[in-house]
Amino acid sequence: MDAYINLLTNGIATGMAIFLLAVGLSIIFGLMSVLNFAHGAFFMWGAYVGAWIFGLTKSFTLALTSAVLVGAIIGLVVERSTISRVYGNHVSQMLLTMGLMLVLGEMVKVFWGPNILTSPLPAYLAGSWDLNGVIIIKYRLFTIIVGAATALAVYLILKRTRLGIIVRAGVENPEMVQALGIDIRKVFSLVFAFGAALAALGGAIMGPLGGSISPTMGLENQLLAFIVVVIGGLGSFIGSLIGAILVGITGALVSWFLPEAALAVNILLMAVVLLLRPTGLFGGSGL
Amino acid sequence: MKMKKKLTVVLLAVLLFLVAFIPFLTDSRATLNLMTHIFLWAIFAMSYDILLGYTGIVSFGHALFFGSGAYIVGLLLKYVGASWTNTILGILASLIFGLLVALLLGSLSLRIRDAYFAMITLAFAELFLVAALKLRWITGGEDGFSFRVPELLSNRVVFYYLSLGALILTTFLLYRFTCSPAGRVLQAIRENEQRAEALGYDVFRYKLLSTAVAGVTASLAGSLFGLQMRFVSASVLSLEKTIDALLMTIIGGSGTLYGAIIGSALVNLVQDWFTGLARVYPLFERWPLLFGFVYIIIVLFFPGGLVRAFSGMTETILFKWQARRNPADNYTPGKQDDAVRVCLKRR
Repeated sequence: MDAYINLLTNGIATGMAIFLLAVGLSIIFGLMSVLNFAHGAFFMWGAYVGAWIFGLTKSFTLALTSAVLVGAIIGLVVERSTISRVYGNHVSQMLLTMGLMLVLGEMVKVFWGPNILTSPLPAYLAGSWDLNGVIIIKYRLFTIIVGAATALAVYLILKRTRLGIIVRAGVENPEMVQALGIDIRKVFSLVFAFGAALAALGGAIMGPLGGSISPTMGLENQLLAFIVVVIGGLGSFIGSLIGAILVGITGALVSWFLPEAALAVNILLMAVVLLLRPTGLFGGSGL
Repeated sequence: MKMKKKLTVVLLAVLLFLVAFIPFLTDSRATLNLMTHIFLWAIFAMSYDILLGYTGIVSFGHALFFGSGAYIVGLLLKYVGASWTNTILGILASLIFGLLVALLLGSLSLRIRDAYFAMITLAFAELFLVAALKLRWITGGEDGFSFRVPELLSNRVVFYYLSLGALILTTFLLYRFTCSPAGRVLQAIRENEQRAEALGYDVFRYKLLSTAVAGVTASLAGSLFGLQMRFVSASVLSLEKTIDALLMTIIGGSGTLYGAIIGSALVNLVQDWFTGLARVYPLFERWPLLFGFVYIIIVLFFPGGLVRAFSGMTETILFKWQARRNPADNYTPGKQDDAVRVCLKRR
């Protein structure tokens, strides 16, 4: 029983970090129909900047904040300088974002080297609680809380604020939003930077969760995020949340019994969903 | 028009002649290996061009076909024996495997939005990569394994001509394919999918055909690559291999086939050069960064590729020259797409 609770919390915690990556991917696709193959790079930059700042200042809050800031800045620069030039051309978008993934990934190697680095925890989040024999690791709980709080915040922004209404309207019909006098390009840039910031936060949290960061983590986690959005439905907020938790738990459970098959089972899950419901579990219902 | 065609034929003949004589001019193993590399990568890049350039489908998992081709031939020769029968069986098996995987991935994802194919090919290629890394007792994991090939095939010159022959044959077959009625439908889908559908074409089936042709061709390239290296490691399945093919296709100009050959030559020569430089100047170990920037610049500013930009230039010069000689000729350069015009002329 203990083992299962342990696996479950681990799965949900990983799922939450993946959710932060997937939700930006999903909203960006919903709004601008850009499938961002560079999204994992923001995640990786978040992880590296987080670990780096934490190593320098020993302040985890500062590390998370700077990761989010760096993510938002890279996202904004990348969107303004390159992606905004290819809106409407799906082939160029995919080729371009993959190129950005390549460049951003190589730049991580230039700054921090190609080897695996450790990503330490702050002292107050290390260790675990023992509740009547059930062991709960503090940092996992922290990840789940941060993930859930961010999910709630994103949900409230989408549902309750003016910006959220514009984004949801833009998902339905960007031309109409523009016809109503709203500069949709600015909204695009903002949402892209926001998505990149969320991904960077996810990366900064994921680093200490696994304990180590490497230049391959961008692609690996991006792949999981793709599986999540295909399962949940591209462009769906709820879909990315449920999909991420599902993928996280499946990954944790399968890794326990057969570590080699974790990715295979998740991909199989995705293939089954594609066969039964090609638009994903929550696809087609808007954000 | 005639002028240009004659020029092309003469140039092509001269080039082929030169390439066929390289083994007589040099006995440097490095040069022969590099040239063989270029031929095989050209086949791989052309197969990518069928998807990207002729059908407008983006795949990020093309290395899956290339790598599994290399693995199938390698495993067969290593575990069953280095005979000619096994070599031919291995190539055939990898072609069939490529066909089946292409049909599977295509039917999973091609019915939905175009972005799905890119994601799903990426996912499955990663899956194969992980499998090759984890099934250590069969594949040797990251270190890979080497294997023996039939005596004759380990002769560099023989293999040089074999891969040159394979390149010529594939180019011819793919060229005929792209000019066939089915190939033209693919180009129609690339230009406007809704319109092709409205004309009554089953877009899904044609896209599936395109992935099948591309998959089989890529598997051929991969199995020959395995035979050339006499060694397979998991890197043949990595995303970098797909990106290299993608880069070759778009540098040369997608939708032309010959662009992929030129791209293969360019990318392989530059890579070879940089690998040499990296031994002396560690700075050049980061050459993928430079490639990434070049790639982004081409996608953004030269979507037709460097060959188109260049041939557009020569065409304008030829046109001006012709216009001076014969002012009545009202041919305007660059009016039709290269690939389409080549086909139209044959009919």
